Amino acid sequence: MTNTPLLQVRELHTHFRTGGGIFAEKTWLRAVNGISFDIHAGEVLSLVGESGCGKSTVGRTLTQLEPSTSGAALFNGQDILPMTASAFRPLRRDIQMIFQDPFASLNPRLTIEQTLTEPLFIHGLAASKTEARALIADTLELVGMAPKVMERYPHEFSGGQRQRIGIARVMILKPKLVIADEAVSALDVSIQAQVLNLIKELQRDSGMSMLFISHDLGVVRHISDRVAVMYQGQIVETGDKRQIFEAPQHEYTKRLLSAIPRITERVA
Amino acid sequence: MALLEVKDLEIAVAAGGALLPVVRGVSFSVDENETLGIVGESGCGKSLTSLAIMGLLEGSQLRLTGGSISFDGRELNSLSPNERRAIMGDQMAMIFQEPMTSLNPVYRIGDQIVETIRQHRDMSKRQASDRAVELLDLVRIPEPARRIDSFPHQMSGGQRQRVMIAMALACDPKLLIADEPTTALDVTVQKEVLDLMADLQTRMGTAIVLISHDLGVIAETCDKVAVMYRGKIVEAASAAALFANISHPYTRGLLNSIPVVDHDVEWLEAIPGRVPTIDETLPGCAFHPRCSMAEIRCSAEDPAPHDVATGHTVRCHFAGKGTV
Amino acid sequence: MNMLRTFLAMFRGRKLATIGLIWLCIVGLAAIAAPLIAPFDPLEIDPVERLSEPGLPYLFGTDHFGRDSFSRAIYGARMAVIIGLGSVIVALVTGGLVGMLSAYFTRLGHVLMRGIDVLMAFPALLLALVLMTLLERSVTNTIIVIGIVYATTTARILFGMTLKLKGETFVDAAICSGAGHGSILFRHILPNLISPLLVQASFIFAFAQLQAAALDFLGLGLPPEVPSWGNMLSEERIYVTRAPWLLIFPGALIILSVFSMNLVGDAMRDSIDPRFKDDIAGV
Repeated sequence: MTNTPLLQVRELHTHFRTGGGIFAEKTWLRAVNGISFDIHAGEVLSLVGESGCGKSTVGRTLTQLEPSTSGAALFNGQDILPMTASAFRPLRRDIQMIFQDPFASLNPRLTIEQTLTEPLFIHGLAASKTEARALIADTLELVGMAPKVMERYPHEFSGGQRQRIGIARVMILKPKLVIADEAVSALDVSIQAQVLNLIKELQRDSGMSMLFISHDLGVVRHISDRVAVMYQGQIVETGDKRQIFEAPQHEYTKRLLSAIPRITERVA
Repeated sequence: MALLEVKDLEIAVAAGGALLPVVRGVSFSVDENETLGIVGESGCGKSLTSLAIMGLLEGSQLRLTGGSISFDGRELNSLSPNERRAIMGDQMAMIFQEPMTSLNPVYRIGDQIVETIRQHRDMSKRQASDRAVELLDLVRIPEPARRIDSFPHQMSGGQRQRVMIAMALACDPKLLIADEPTTALDVTVQKEVLDLMADLQTRMGTAIVLISHDLGVIAETCDKVAVMYRGKIVEAASAAALFANISHPYTRGLLNSIPVVDHDVEWLEAIPGRVPTIDETLPGCAFHPRCSMAEIRCSAEDPAPHDVATGHTVRCHFAGKGTV
Repeated sequence: MNMLRTFLAMFRGRKLATIGLIWLCIVGLAAIAAPLIAPFDPLEIDPVERLSEPGLPYLFGTDHFGRDSFSRAIYGARMAVIIGLGSVIVALVTGGLVGMLSAYFTRLGHVLMRGIDVLMAFPALLLALVLMTLLERSVTNTIIVIGIVYATTTARILFGMTLKLKGETFVDAAICSGAGHGSILFRHILPNLISPLLVQASFIFAFAQLQAAALDFLGLGLPPEVPSWGNMLSEERIYVTRAPWLLIFPGALIILSVFSMNLVGDAMRDSIDPRFKDDIAGV
């Protein structure tokens, strides 16, 4: 076993042009402003912070949904940021993403089977429709859905079921790294717990690494091995889960933790 | 006599000629200086209940099909629209979830507050504007005299929600209904807004109905709690009594579903299944398909409200018989 | 079968639109079965019977060449359908491609959409006139010109809708699955544009009738011998006092068909995806 992390992010910057033109000076939003972190094989790192801190942009940059401004991201030792779209395409199989909104992340015009077949054919994981169907059936069962649902359209499912399908789309590729961007935030509490358990179980069983992006500290504590706290485009504190939650060092982390409403069950 | 008394409230939604019940027999009361929390998942009917109190159901597919809502001794459903309008915004005010869409983007926030005040109070523009500054100061907006000239988009989400609270408080209402007031906000901002509401309540004695999906928020801010599931209140008690002796399996399940920040849990005890949609008819207890305690009786007989202690009511056949 | 049922469901409770739909079905049938329905050859000249009044055997009367107006009107329906469908296809394919590609490939879009802006600066009829004067009068050229005129608006509308869809999470999800540009454009974006495209098509179909009639009337559209409603109006306009029925019948046919198509278009628009309702404002 080597000790090289699966993903090494170094001094990553992603800036967005927000204004300026011929007459005005260009202005930039520094959404991600120089962050570095490592994710080892089989490890779950959470990126936690409040809205607008840039945590989602990190995930979108690592999947090339946004272009990076500078920095490096070594995946298995290879810098993925400067890659062209076609050079990056084969790597997409290994780096997958779970999106927040289960109602928006599935194409309403495609059946579940069509949605799940596409990645299989793109990456050459199935040679025929029958082979694809068998794989899809297995994966749907893995995420707790009956294989027969593959003939249906997204609008026929509830939020929790759709998120399971979204997870199936990721798991069917057997990725090495999954980026989960607020993957359970849009779900009701009771459904959120089911999906969280599922994600945790799948992560354990497959040994994949995960970058779990969330604003919810409770969820983060539940799922992660290590936690990085982000504030205004930068990571202010990184550490083991225990350390972050039980002995936070940074002022901002402390403020975050104390702001959470707590339920004290008074046992009679 | 409580300030607000809701009795046997029934709301139905018109769908394809039929009326599907969405709120069934909801009763509760709120007194001055008291905060009632209504908690539940999406589709449980908590927001509809608040809309019904504010008289905002009209003009939609929703129908008030039964029950009474009395405010300060007056039956709201028997009032004319004009009488009702005179009460709304004056003695009764509402805060919505989305501070971005509840403020009109083309008016300065000061003008919007002045407008609200002058609808109900005989004040000059000058006086109303002074009052607006006072209110913004009250909700801790820095430099209020300057900020009244801001447009909504020039403020942050937390600030906009404070402006909404300021507007709601413009006429010193006796009752404030807050529907998910902090759901769109970050935790640190949420804490500030909730603290602010609690502080204003102690100063002015306002009664508050706080509607939230977040059991944590409810637990920290409310005096009384009502847990709703599928249009019914399944458990209601004072916050202290409820969290000391959770008696409905749904409340228990909800609590177990929340990952906590203060200690590690290996697996969450999730409630299986999903919330039934409104067009599904379920005999018996609405929660029985997801309930770990369910017996044959639960699928046949809808449990009646049952007191497990004084003021602690539970709709479950097993209420008070062992722990959940 | 399912699609037909949803299509018909759009007309529930809409009397006027249903009547419009029925009228269009009649026009469509007439177009298909023209040789079977028409009692006479629409091109056969009979100087003896010129300008006879409506009645038997000439239901709509005869024109100044003695041709049977009713038969010409039936073949005119065929022309109307050909021009309408042809223009719709040209407009949707060219305009649709330009709009989609412009929205998807931003840099290409800067260039193409400026070109569209220039074309849109001309009023539709003027643009059609200018283009027609450069070309020979023929059915194909009329279709191409009308198609290009409405391709501009189609491109604008599709540009906006594609831009919206491009920002949808399911497109991001497809990118993350490794889908290429072609798959994203035609498998993920295009199917979501079908229903607004159909509505757009119904409006283009209607306006193409008016354009074609106007071009015919000005003597720039179809060759004069082709039996079309516009040509019938154009050729007989000097007989408006002596034989007004020669203008009333084709005029009424044009108005009825355009109006019906618009009613059907409205009914379809009201039942499509609310996100796109604002984009389609007619052509």
